[in-house]
Amino acid sequence: MSTPVPPPRTPVELRPFRLFPGFAWPSFGAWVAAIALLALVPLFVKKPLLLHMWIMVFLAVAQGSAWNVVGGYAGQYSVGHAAYFGVGAYTTMMLLELHQIAPWWGVGLAILNAVIVSVVIGAITFRLRGPYFVLGSIAVAEIVRLGALYWKGFTKGAEGILLSGIPPLQITQDWTIAFVGKRPFFYAALMLAVLVVAANWFVQNTKLGFYFQAIREDQDAAHSLGIGPALHKSIALAISAAFTAWAGSLFALYVRFIDPNIVIGLDVSVQMVLICIIGGIGTILGPVVGAFVLTLLSETLRNPKWLVQAGLFSDESPVIAFIQQRLANTHVLFYGILVVAVILFAPDGILGLARDATARVRRRLAAGGRRARQPAEG
Amino acid sequence: MKHTRGRHGSHMLILQSILSGILVGGVYALVGIGLTLIFGVMRVINFAHGDLLMLGMYATWWIFTKTGIDPYLSLVLTAPLLFAWGALLQTAFINRILGSLPQNQILLTIVLGLVMRNTMLLIFTSDYQILTTSYSSSSFRLFGLSVSQPLLYSFLVTAVITAALYGFLMRTDTGQAIRATAQDREAAQLMGINVSRMSILAFGLGTALAAIAGALLAPTYYIYPDVGAPFTLKAFVVVVLGGMGSVVGATLGGVLIGVAESLGGAWVAGLKDLNVYVLFLLILLFKPSGLLGKSRM
Repeated sequence: MSTPVPPPRTPVELRPFRLFPGFAWPSFGAWVAAIALLALVPLFVKKPLLLHMWIMVFLAVAQGSAWNVVGGYAGQYSVGHAAYFGVGAYTTMMLLELHQIAPWWGVGLAILNAVIVSVVIGAITFRLRGPYFVLGSIAVAEIVRLGALYWKGFTKGAEGILLSGIPPLQITQDWTIAFVGKRPFFYAALMLAVLVVAANWFVQNTKLGFYFQAIREDQDAAHSLGIGPALHKSIALAISAAFTAWAGSLFALYVRFIDPNIVIGLDVSVQMVLICIIGGIGTILGPVVGAFVLTLLSETLRNPKWLVQAGLFSDESPVIAFIQQRLANTHVLFYGILVVAVILFAPDGILGLARDATARVRRRLAAGGRRARQPAEG
Repeated sequence: MKHTRGRHGSHMLILQSILSGILVGGVYALVGIGLTLIFGVMRVINFAHGDLLMLGMYATWWIFTKTGIDPYLSLVLTAPLLFAWGALLQTAFINRILGSLPQNQILLTIVLGLVMRNTMLLIFTSDYQILTTSYSSSSFRLFGLSVSQPLLYSFLVTAVITAALYGFLMRTDTGQAIRATAQDREAAQLMGINVSRMSILAFGLGTALAAIAGALLAPTYYIYPDVGAPFTLKAFVVVVLGGMGSVVGATLGGVLIGVAESLGGAWVAGLKDLNVYVLFLLILLFKPSGLLGKSRM
């Protein structure tokens, strides 16, 4: 009896360096460079309206990307994320204004609170599928909003909560951050946006995220492969809710006034979905692109003065006057028309359009190359 | 003595609430039937339904202020007008996304509603408009209960229209074709039914029903661009309660919701809407096929 010959060992291929799953130097470098450039913006941009635009864009990026985790990757189209946004905003503001608890603790508690709320809401609504889930998620958010309106003793109801001031944050003995002006909010919003986009990256490339995507593609098939849909949908929702609540807290601290209709209204939920639809659902870059487009569009129509501060138009420019006089109340209308156009003509969002366009160019180049070679042969 | 009178009073209050609940519920039923018809035929949940109702209100109000035609009479104008609008919406927008993700369909209708709302906001501003008829605030007395005149009229109109619609769906060839499309789109197509025409018809009918409901509510409601949103959500409750796609269910659901809301409002005014949503969630969770089970139409 001969001893079995061990199979020849295949030479171990040197795996490329990976800092984390899905890591690739070019795109990682591009992201780091973009973030570094953005971090430098306040050094050169001092005009308050321009910083305001950036802050609104970052908040929109955070909202859209947060929704993307559960809506884009796990495929659960929640149209009730205003509930988490509102829980975040209300927890922070109530702790600060009614109990004098500083917002850096408040934000943490707000996130915790939203995660707990998300577990409860998930337990109720994840039993529903498709359009029923959408309806259920709307109903839950409306219950939260009506509750906040009704229990005046607890939330001050429709009267809302006005922020009187944010205490300075003391980090070391001689380093304190005073939350005055736009700059601290710029960095806070940028940091949040970066964190949420990073979370999307992990969801796209890690095993946990693969589970989410499997559930999105076919819940029953995923289930039969041993991926518990209830558990994983709840995890996706918890991640999403945590970042949404964080964005809500930051929004409340920045805008300094909240009431149930502003932070828990159906519009808030819809906007989060629209950001993703316009940019491209279930992609990392999609919500970022969508947030830029939507925020620039709506903020410009609402208050075009930033164009003046950016030096693009003079103060007397007829364009500014036209926007202010004629288009002042139309921002939602334009917004709506844009979304209708995107859904009808670019169902994969702006990113999808860009992808199609580059694919077409590449095909044409390839075809051109073939044609150029042909005469030489024949 | 005082005690017995108090008890009698509370009985009357409950009876009164139930009565006005039924009357209002008739209008909810009308809104719900439109939604269920659209869902049944196209499997599209129309989130712009309340906004179509709002358009009906504005059309009625506009005709009334310009010409003085009674809101119940001007139905003969507003209903066909909004039918045409619905048919246009169907051909221009909804039809293009029938095959796409249900999520995109939902968003499209949400945004179409947004556009309609904001267009009206631009034209008529956000001011509350009031349509006052000679009978807007008058009422009949019936066994010690007061019956609001406009509500009673609207309930009667609702009853007639619901009966007519039911007859149309059950007795005519076109109605049968609509039902066949709702039952199985592909099979209906194979049987030679023009499915896309039935869709246009269904969306037009649904829109007209919402508009009629708007017209019926106009004499008793403030009219403003955002008036539709609560009706959209209420229509969902009605439809889910009765079973998606079931006309009889929606009629029943409408009356039930009207009564539930009216009774809830009699106790705690602020909790009126909250109750409706909680009820909605409970039905979604425990009886998702609706109270009438799986019946369609």
